[in-house]
Amino acid sequence: MGSCRLDLLADDRPHHLASRATNPMPTILETAQAAGAFGTLLAAVDAAGLRDALEGPGPFTVFAPIDAAFAALPPGTVQTLVDNPPQLARILKYHVIAGAYHQAQLVEQQDWPSLEGAPIPVRCPDPLEIKNATVLTADLVCSNGVVHVIDRVILPG
Amino acid sequence: MTTTTAAAGTETPLIPPSTHAYADVIHRLEAGGSMLPDTPENLQQIIGIYKAYAVPMDFYWRDLLYIAERIWRGGEKAHPELLEFMAKGETRAMPKLLHHLWHDRVNMEFAEACMQAMFWHQGMGGRFNDYLASEAYRANADRAVKAYFKGNLVMLGLYKLFPEMFIEKVRQLSYTANLGLFWEVMAPVFFEMSDLYDEGQLTSVPAAMDFLVNGIFAVAGRPIYHHVFIAGECIEIIPKSEGFTWLYEAALPYVEAVFYRTSPFRGTKSYNAQADQVPDDQADFHYGILYADVFPVGSAGIPPTLLMQDMLHFLPPYLQELYKQHRRGEEDQLIQLGITFQRSMYNVTSAVIQALRCALLYPLDDSNPEHLKANRSFFEAQMDRFLRPEARLSDIQTQDYR
Repeated sequence: MGSCRLDLLADDRPHHLASRATNPMPTILETAQAAGAFGTLLAAVDAAGLRDALEGPGPFTVFAPIDAAFAALPPGTVQTLVDNPPQLARILKYHVIAGAYHQAQLVEQQDWPSLEGAPIPVRCPDPLEIKNATVLTADLVCSNGVVHVIDRVILPG
Repeated sequence: MTTTTAAAGTETPLIPPSTHAYADVIHRLEAGGSMLPDTPENLQQIIGIYKAYAVPMDFYWRDLLYIAERIWRGGEKAHPELLEFMAKGETRAMPKLLHHLWHDRVNMEFAEACMQAMFWHQGMGGRFNDYLASEAYRANADRAVKAYFKGNLVMLGLYKLFPEMFIEKVRQLSYTANLGLFWEVMAPVFFEMSDLYDEGQLTSVPAAMDFLVNGIFAVAGRPIYHHVFIAGECIEIIPKSEGFTWLYEAALPYVEAVFYRTSPFRGTKSYNAQADQVPDDQADFHYGILYADVFPVGSAGIPPTLLMQDMLHFLPPYLQELYKQHRRGEEDQLIQLGITFQRSMYNVTSAVIQALRCALLYPLDDSNPEHLKANRSFFEAQMDRFLRPEARLSDIQTQDYR
C-alpha cells in the first residue's frame, strides 16, 4: 500500500516546516510530488487540466488518494476517465473543498461541499473517515491549503 | 468481492444475521452473489436472453442516436443477425414499407418508451435534468431549432409563438441521445457475455454479475452529451465539457426509470388512480420489469411485449429448446422469455447494487464491523423496494416460475 512512502511523507513535514524560513512552503502539488505515493493522482490532475487551478492561491483542502487507491478500482476505470478530461475533472473536484480545513475542523461538520458540487460526508471522526475512505495521514499543511491522504478514491453519489 | 466473513461459516460472523424478509438474498449479496440464485439453468437463461436482447439493442441505440444527432453511426458494423433480420424480417425480402405495415420489424417503440420513461420521471440523480432547465441549454437549443428550420418561415413563426413546445421537444431529443449513448455501450457488453458463455468462460451467475460490475466501472466515465448535425454544422446542445458521465447521468437514471418505475401500461390491465392503484408519488411507481406480471403485460402494443417480440427473433437455440420443454412449449414462448428477461434484469440490478456498494461503501470482506453494518443497511434498503407484493424477487428464487 506504499505505507513506507507515507512514513517518508510524514517525516518530511518537520523538514518542510523547519525550512520554511529559507524556502517558501511547498504547494499542494509539490507536496504530493515529493511524497512519491501520488503518481496516478498527479497524472490525473494533469490529464484533467487542473494543475494551474491547484497551483493557484486557493486555499484548498485536498483529499489525496494514494496510488494503491486508484489501482484498486476495476480495470479500465481510470483509463476511461483519463481519456475524457471533463469527466475526470469532475471526479477529481469531488476530492477538493474550498478553504483550508484541518482534521479538527473537518470532524465538526457532517458534510462538506466539494468543488464538484456533491457533499462529502465525514462518516467517522477517529480514525477519520471521509465517505468510504480512511485518512491515512492528516493535516499536511501546504502554502495553498491542506492535504489529507486517503486510502480510497471517493465517488459522488 | 467473493468472500465475506459473515458467510464464511466456520468463523464467527462480525455482525449478526439480517432479520429482513429477504435475509437469504441479503446474505447472498454479502457473500458476493446476485439476487438471482446461482444455478446452471439461471445462468443459461440470463446469458441466452442477454444475447437475444443485444441484437435489437444494437438497432435501438443506432436509431436513437440517428433521431437525436441526425447522423447514422456505423450501420455496417451492426450485428449480422440484425442485418439479416432487417433484410428479410419474419417473412421474406420485400420493400421496407411493407415490412413496417405488417409489423414485421424491430419495434423501435420499445426504445422510445424507455426514453419517455426517463424523460417523464426525471430528477433521479445526476445533473442531466438540471442542465436541461439552464439558460445555457436554452441558448444551445435555440440555436439548433433556428438552424434546423432555417428558411422555413412557418415553423420559425410557430417557434416564436410557442417557444416552450419546441424547447421541450429538444429536451426529449437530449434524452434520446442519452439513452442511445447508454445502450451503445450495453449492447457489446451483452454480446461479449454471450460469447464468453459459449466458450465456457462464464460459468456462474455471480461471475456474470461481476462481469457487469467491472463493465459498469470500466465505462462509468464515458461522456454523455447531445450533439446535433444540421447542414454540416455540429451544434453542441449538451457539450462533453459539462462533464456528464455514463454512470451518473445515464445508467443510474435508466435503471431507476426503466427497471423500477416506468408507468402504468395501457392495455388489458386497468389501473384505478382514485382507488390508489397508482401512487401519488412518482418515486413509488413500480411498473418496471422487476415488478411486472408478465402474463397480462404480454398483450399487444404494451412496451415490454414489444421487446419480448423483438427478442423472440434472436433467441439462441438452447433457449428455444428450454422453452419447448416447459409449460405450453412454443405456444407461450413470449411469456417464458419474458420471465427469463425478468430473471436477467434482477441480475443486472444486482450488478448495479454491487457496483454502488463498491463505489460508495465498503469491500465485502472488510474487517471493520461498522463498515459491514453500513453495507448491510444499504442492501436492506435496496431489498425494501421489493417488499411490495408486485415484486418478483421471491418468484425468481425458484425454477418453477416460468
